[in-house]
Amino acid sequence: MNDAVPASALADHAFLRGMPADDVTRLARAAVAVRLPAGRRLFDEGAPASKCWLLTAGHVALDLHMPGRANLIVETLGRGDVIGFSWLSPPHEWQFGAEVVESAEAFELDGATVMVLCDRHPELGYQLALRLLAAAVQRLQATRIRLLDLYAVPSHDAGAR
Amino acid sequence: MDGPIPADGPLLMEAAALDPLLDALRGAGYRVIGPTVADRAIVLAELGSAADLPFGWGVSLEPGGYRIRRRDDSAAFGHSAGPQSWKQFLHPPREKVWSARRTAGGFEVEAADEHAPRLAFFGVRPCDLRAIEIQDQVLGRGEHAGSRYAARRAGVFIVAVNCTEPGATCFCASMSTGPQAGPGYDLALTEMAGAGTHRFLIDVGSPAGADLLAGLPVRRADDATAGSARSAVAGAADRMGRSMPADILHDLMAGSAGAARWDDVASRCLTCGNCTMACPTCFCTTVEDTTDLSGDHAERWQLWDSCFDLDFSHLHAGPVRSSPRSRYRQWLTHKLGTWHDQFGSSGCVGCGRCIVWCPVGIDLTEEVAALQAEAGQAGNSPGAAPQAQTGGEPS
Amino acid sequence: MSLQAVPAREATRYRAAETHDTVTLGLEPVDDPIAPHRPGQFAMLYVFGSGEVPISISGEPGGPGLVYTIRSVGAVTRALCEAGPGELIGVRGPYGTEWGVTDAAGQDLVVVAGGIGLAPLRPALLAALAARERYRRVTVLIGTRTPDDLVFAGELETWREHGADVRVTVDRAAAGWRGHVGVVTQLIDRVDVDPAATLALVCGPEVMMRLTARSLGARGVAADRIRVSLERNMRCGIAECGHCQLGPLLLCRDGPVISYRRAAALLTVKEL
Repeated sequence: MNDAVPASALADHAFLRGMPADDVTRLARAAVAVRLPAGRRLFDEGAPASKCWLLTAGHVALDLHMPGRANLIVETLGRGDVIGFSWLSPPHEWQFGAEVVESAEAFELDGATVMVLCDRHPELGYQLALRLLAAAVQRLQATRIRLLDLYAVPSHDAGAR
Repeated sequence: MDGPIPADGPLLMEAAALDPLLDALRGAGYRVIGPTVADRAIVLAELGSAADLPFGWGVSLEPGGYRIRRRDDSAAFGHSAGPQSWKQFLHPPREKVWSARRTAGGFEVEAADEHAPRLAFFGVRPCDLRAIEIQDQVLGRGEHAGSRYAARRAGVFIVAVNCTEPGATCFCASMSTGPQAGPGYDLALTEMAGAGTHRFLIDVGSPAGADLLAGLPVRRADDATAGSARSAVAGAADRMGRSMPADILHDLMAGSAGAARWDDVASRCLTCGNCTMACPTCFCTTVEDTTDLSGDHAERWQLWDSCFDLDFSHLHAGPVRSSPRSRYRQWLTHKLGTWHDQFGSSGCVGCGRCIVWCPVGIDLTEEVAALQAEAGQAGNSPGAAPQAQTGGEPS
Repeated sequence: MSLQAVPAREATRYRAAETHDTVTLGLEPVDDPIAPHRPGQFAMLYVFGSGEVPISISGEPGGPGLVYTIRSVGAVTRALCEAGPGELIGVRGPYGTEWGVTDAAGQDLVVVAGGIGLAPLRPALLAALAARERYRRVTVLIGTRTPDDLVFAGELETWREHGADVRVTVDRAAAGWRGHVGVVTQLIDRVDVDPAATLALVCGPEVMMRLTARSLGARGVAADRIRVSLERNMRCGIAECGHCQLGPLLLCRDGPVISYRRAAALLTVKEL
């Protein structure tokens, strides 16, 4: 069931915290409220990417298809997170898949509409770009921490001295 | 000796009575440890008789330098900053803690016997007396009251010797640990060795001290002699060659973690750990678990350790304190700063041994002055400007 | 009364493999039992002829410290992980400061564990669940390397039944894992927390504890309502050997549980 989103509801989302009210109102024109049942494939790797989602409840897992194995989850996203960056730039194809692991609710934003709004209102574009960058940086930092493999048994680092 | 020991006031004893005094200590069941000349140094060893004392021997001290030399007089206690302190007797460099042996059901553990000989320390300088008290706090009181250290300490008889002549590297006065001995002695001597006379003023510090003097040739000291001895000690306080701003040390150390000075001292420090071995309050130890070849008998030994050792701070993949900078910083900020937080006093008694026995002559009073200056320039000095270093008199 | 320096012997009653390199040992006293432990405390475990290691007590508080969860990382821990039934182990303890979970009474309790860090937290969690009505929300966030590295995996459901919201996330998923994937700090952003009335207990690798405390701080939890369990080289466990110093703290006596308000400044100084 898809409903139009009042600007006030959108403004509450953590991703949009601090965005000027006018820009939120404009963005609301591109948004619909969606309910995503557990098990729904949000998108598949390689498919055309044209939307993004601001999760308000539940969890969505990003995954990769591995031959001979079930999809391997690379990251789980939840309340407050933005899902989907691949709609922003060519080739506009999903790099990962996404599956709803726990029935979720989100504001679904139509990528094409958002781009038209940003072209017309560069201020909105700037606000969105800042926030998308922040979200990407946060994921990058978290990924770097995971790469440190902090929970592994430490071995003597020959370069320590 | 006529009549009982006077209840108050200092006593006087001729140097010739030193042997009877040592005999009295041995007669009371003590093994007497005191300074002797050996290996071209003043070292602590068991005294067979008063002749073993280093009469007429003094020392020339400087950063990274120690030489014994002949004095003009025959003083037995005219030296300081020897390579050892009394901690080697109370807190031994190697000590078996317990042993275990394999049994059919597993193993059995037995605490190591504590055959603590009763020791008398003869010639404890005021700085070293305070050092003993500091180690008592760390190793022998509160939760440690039943420790092996406490057992060894309980039986010790202390004959302190006040200082009338500061060593060139001494700074006890500014650390409030000397040149007059504080409480904790059984007897305290002040040596007066001049032309034609050699005698000791004696202060009694405990009933055990008073009892020991019974039957010995001591008499009440006359006011003139007592006054002369007192002013000699007081005068020593004014002739120290070095000082430390004791009041501000804790806060100075606490704020010094990022100081550039640490890089400067690290370029000189060999991290050899001599300072920690010579320091009378350094107490860190490590444990070593060993088995014999059969594998049926195991022992746990406690050994002196040093925070300069790379292995000291080993954690998981390597040492936490890897650089010489961090290890020197740890030693000094602990000694002068965090010791207060952990044990309620400074860890430094101003004996100057670390200055003398550092192979490259690092002088912690100089390092503190530099840190203070750096903090002052940064606008966050916790205290007054560093005090000028005055020239000292060799002892 | 002095701190004991000679180990008391305990015999291995059971051995449960938690993961490929982690074992929980249940011991029973042979010599006089050591004093009852409080959550957060540790003991020095001795293997005959091999040596001693500090291990956090991971069992229910109230009785003598008899349950330890050990990860095999060196000679002594490997020997402990291989302990057979009835095998004797020497124990000295309990030592150190406690989590103080009752300070969360009437408030939200958040427990954040990284890897083997869940073991020292388990006694605090069990104590809270045994008196569940004293606390508002009880949330347990567990970060682990892979699904196979999760300790106490079989107990999580019991904890949920006793009123804890337990969430697990892995750094790296294995095939078939349908749970969370990501760093444990990401879980913090998604739970409901009343920052003015929360006590957070955090244990894991030091980097993880720093980042977790930062995330909690960003949610508004005050530094003195966050407690971490710190670790440094330990030899004696009884504040006599000087090894476990971290600035002004002796971790065997002033820790291992420390308020993050005290710990924060110390943890950011390199090589302290």
